[in-house]
Amino acid sequence: MAKQSIVPFGPQHPVLPEPVHLDLVLEDEVVVKAVPSIGFVHRGLEKLVETKDYKEYVYIAERVCGICSFGHGMGYCQCIEKIMGVEAPPRANYLRTIWMEMSRIHSHLLWLGLLADAMGFESLFMQSWRLREKILDMFDATTGGRIIFSVNCVGGVLKDMDNAMLRTLVSTIDGMEKELRPIAEAFLRDYSVGTRLHGLGVMDAGHAQGMGAVGPMLRASGVAFDTRKLGYAAYGDLEFEPVTAADGDSFARCEVRIKEIYQSMDLIRQAAAKIPAGPIAVPVKGNPDGEHFMRIEQPRGEAVYYVKANGSKFIDRFRLRTPTTSNIPPMLELLKGCQLADVALLILTIDPCISCTER
Amino acid sequence: MDHKHDQTPAPWRVFPFAGTVLKNLFSKPATTGYPFEPAHYPERMRGHVEIKIEDCISCGLCARSCPPGALKVDRAAGTWTINRFDCVQCGNCANVCPKKCLAIVPGYTAPGSQKASETFTRPKAPDAPAAGKAGGKPENDAAKCVYCTLCAKKCPQGAITVDRAAKQWLLDAEKCIGCGICAASCPKKCLTLQ
Amino acid sequence: MEALNTIEPITPDAFMAEVIRFKMEGWRVVQICAARLPDGYELSYSFGRDYDMRTLRLTVGEEEPVPSITQIYPGAFLQENEAAELFGVRIENIDGDYHGKLYRIAGETPFKQKG
Repeated sequence: MAKQSIVPFGPQHPVLPEPVHLDLVLEDEVVVKAVPSIGFVHRGLEKLVETKDYKEYVYIAERVCGICSFGHGMGYCQCIEKIMGVEAPPRANYLRTIWMEMSRIHSHLLWLGLLADAMGFESLFMQSWRLREKILDMFDATTGGRIIFSVNCVGGVLKDMDNAMLRTLVSTIDGMEKELRPIAEAFLRDYSVGTRLHGLGVMDAGHAQGMGAVGPMLRASGVAFDTRKLGYAAYGDLEFEPVTAADGDSFARCEVRIKEIYQSMDLIRQAAAKIPAGPIAVPVKGNPDGEHFMRIEQPRGEAVYYVKANGSKFIDRFRLRTPTTSNIPPMLELLKGCQLADVALLILTIDPCISCTER
Repeated sequence: MDHKHDQTPAPWRVFPFAGTVLKNLFSKPATTGYPFEPAHYPERMRGHVEIKIEDCISCGLCARSCPPGALKVDRAAGTWTINRFDCVQCGNCANVCPKKCLAIVPGYTAPGSQKASETFTRPKAPDAPAAGKAGGKPENDAAKCVYCTLCAKKCPQGAITVDRAAKQWLLDAEKCIGCGICAASCPKKCLTLQ
Repeated sequence: MEALNTIEPITPDAFMAEVIRFKMEGWRVVQICAARLPDGYELSYSFGRDYDMRTLRLTVGEEEPVPSITQIYPGAFLQENEAAELFGVRIENIDGDYHGKLYRIAGETPFKQKG
């Protein structure tokens, strides 16, 4: 047996601004074991639910994460709505779907940029983020915020999109799709990108499921599992199939995310065409009493929201299991046996969001 | 895990990125010339909170609904204070304001070297009519009341219960914030703030 | 799509056997959550298979030890550590126990007290 040495990795990832620290046990250049330590940015946001009005907590829930903020707000609101037996109006459900899919495009483009940066392909990184800027501008125009949207409320949404705005959104999406093609081409058909990603960090379907992988990570291993299929919000009315890839390597994870951007664009177009007229929120009276587990598909995978309410305006317990919490154990599995030089890239392929994991 | 660096044959293209590079070389930059060119904010952008202090009734609902606690309302002095460095621009105050005197408008707060708060004082209006003026709890003149329930519907706090069948008008004094909206909306003018 | 989403109470004695059965039947851990009760904790273990989710609800006293499920589901270590650290649930034999060093927090078991 070769001599073992321990190399600390982090707490700053070279390209990803997330505080993840790993102790890597190496034999020569090969990783034998990785021990994660997170906890640099635990803010105790779940605890705040005990001292804030449940309607006010929406604004805190969405501040758990800067990328999937819309989904966190929506998951929390849907959970409360389920407990109180309130049905959000159909138009609100469609609007939520549209904003959720915009979040997905924004998150995946961000990830693609980071991936390019991790490979040293800086110009591709800038092209991805330039494209992402258009989605952020669209968010700014429709919700009033670029990252934190504050449009969800218990019982619906706070802002409506009129027809002119929906048309602008669809034409922006159409324009983006044209611009995305050459960028996607560079990711999927460039020789140097391919050599870097093909065959790196392979995880088969059985392993991924056994370790509890979720989201694009699981789908890249060929498992068609996408919680949007549960039909929350307006997803029940829209036509889509989970995007999968068979190889289970880093390239497959990249491919799945690129295809999901196209899928999200298609879902936005479908939703914009089908959106019914009507109110955007129903008035909510009283306080929630009961508990519920709600699952939604965030850009990074399945997220679980749990609310336990006691009939007062303060909630007893709010729990948010983020997709990264589930994806860290399979990531550690991926790292075993890889080269030290691949560690940064492999961590990135699960699209970790440590700040949202620690809440 | 399996780490084979084999190169599975893929449909490679020669220089797939070259077209983008050339296009960028001969097109305008994607960035703007800020600060020499002004930034353009869309109409809905949540930048900072503005108050029409003349309309404010100092009910304090905004301060109690502010997630970061950036607002302070002093009813006696008629002031409304905001710490703009604590404000997270969620817009909750503007949503809950019963008089709609708060609005969240485009444009960011300018950076500062120190955290400071900004105070707005309501100008004194001595000749304001008694009905609709804030400051006390409403009282109902049962002789005039027609139990139309309008006051209960308008109450931002849900403090008023009206039972038309039993001819009852009840006030939850703890919930009442004395905003005076009930008195202002009463069609029979039977509510007075005491 | 209608999928299972149930909460099933379970006794501490029957708990491990049930978890092993879940593992044999191919369920994965979806989430582990602790909540405070007046005299103890309420632990919810959610398991998922395809789109179904079943939650086992375990009620334990404040000082009552809970066996770790990391021997069966290694991926559960983060969430078990979290419950032990934030609430003070006595989870025993966690494979990968951080001994209260998962989060950098000022006080011990901040979620145990109310408010």
